[in-house]
Amino acid sequence: MFHFVDQLLELDPGRHALGVKHVTPGDAFVRPNADGVPTLLSCIIGEALGQLGAWSVMAAKDFVVRPVAGVVGEVAITGEAAVGDSVLLDTTIDSVTDDAVFYHAAASVDGATVLRLENALGPLLPMDQFNDPEEVRERFARIHRSRDPTEAPQTGEGATVPFDLSFDEMLSFEGGKEATAVRTVSGHEAFLADHFPRKPVLPLSLLLESLLQLGQKLLEGGDARYVPTGARKVKMSRFVEPGNPLVAKVRVAERSAENALLKFRCEVDGDRVCVGQAEYSRVLGERR
Amino acid sequence: MNTDTIYPKVREIIADVLAFEESEIQRDGSLVDDYSAESIDFLDLVYQLEREFKIKVPRGMIEQEARRGLSEDFEEHGRLTDKGLEHLKTYLSEVPEDRFTPRMQVSLIPTLFTPETFCKIVLREMEGGEQAASD
Repeated sequence: MFHFVDQLLELDPGRHALGVKHVTPGDAFVRPNADGVPTLLSCIIGEALGQLGAWSVMAAKDFVVRPVAGVVGEVAITGEAAVGDSVLLDTTIDSVTDDAVFYHAAASVDGATVLRLENALGPLLPMDQFNDPEEVRERFARIHRSRDPTEAPQTGEGATVPFDLSFDEMLSFEGGKEATAVRTVSGHEAFLADHFPRKPVLPLSLLLESLLQLGQKLLEGGDARYVPTGARKVKMSRFVEPGNPLVAKVRVAERSAENALLKFRCEVDGDRVCVGQAEYSRVLGERR
Repeated sequence: MNTDTIYPKVREIIADVLAFEESEIQRDGSLVDDYSAESIDFLDLVYQLEREFKIKVPRGMIEQEARRGLSEDFEEHGRLTDKGLEHLKTYLSEVPEDRFTPRMQVSLIPTLFTPETFCKIVLREMEGGEQAASD
């Protein structure tokens, strides 16, 4: 399943929404962190915030349109959500026009912010190109009316195999400098059933997570270990459909004793589909 | 104030939005043909300009204004009429003449937009805003 809002706690359609995502052991997007603790992938927390914003806008627009991923000005990764945690999702819509929604959002665990999205923009497209509007309404009713947390549907589960974040093939790799890798969505990935039923496409959140990990590999070497702290100016300009060979180029743009900034650009058949920057912070200590 | 005043900032934003170096941006370049702008880029660009210059750009404004006074004769079956084309040339006077084609599709009007087009929009909205405030 590729739905990450278990429950809508508060909703002011088109303005603000509060929701919750429970991190469960069976979640297809849980991975061990550097200390071996199973945690939810950061980009999936971002996805959950985007989905919460989508519920707010879709409810305001009577489920006639839906937002898709467009631009995220800033993703700030400030913490983690481990199995057993409940992530509080808080999305504020800054403005909605006929063709786009602009929002910012924050996710927290026990009062501590774990991830923020700033200056996000999602184009609004006709709902029926992506989903059966009735199915979306039904899901909305389920997560909105369910007041008892124990009855909340578990999201993120159901995938038989955890999603593989690696690329199919590394076309070039120069440690500390630049890498080019290719991945083709096969069409059999479990998330495609929900993203979206009528138009299966690679979610920006999963692409970004793959890019952050590729960047991390690029920065490895010696005793240095860098962890992703966020991303900036991430923009998805085209849909990536099954069969499209996605070529990702990641380049180290700046690197200091404490931080690193990487730039990435993804293309399909020479056309830009996603660009952005990834930020890392160097952590001290032994590598695991 | 004229468009020269705001151009440096507009160019900076355009370069940022389209992932080009500022030095690569030509003031009369076509955002679509020369810098591969997609529809998401126009949304992003207008949003960034609105934030930077504290203005509000009505969606679809360029086309609406270009049509002004010609509502009936502007297009025919989705293509510009001769009258519509002349009107558009006057309205988008910053766009080099040779980029307009007779009977061009209305949906392709955005391929004509240049950095200067956006300078003009920003300026118009800034001045319009001041006028509205003083009225």
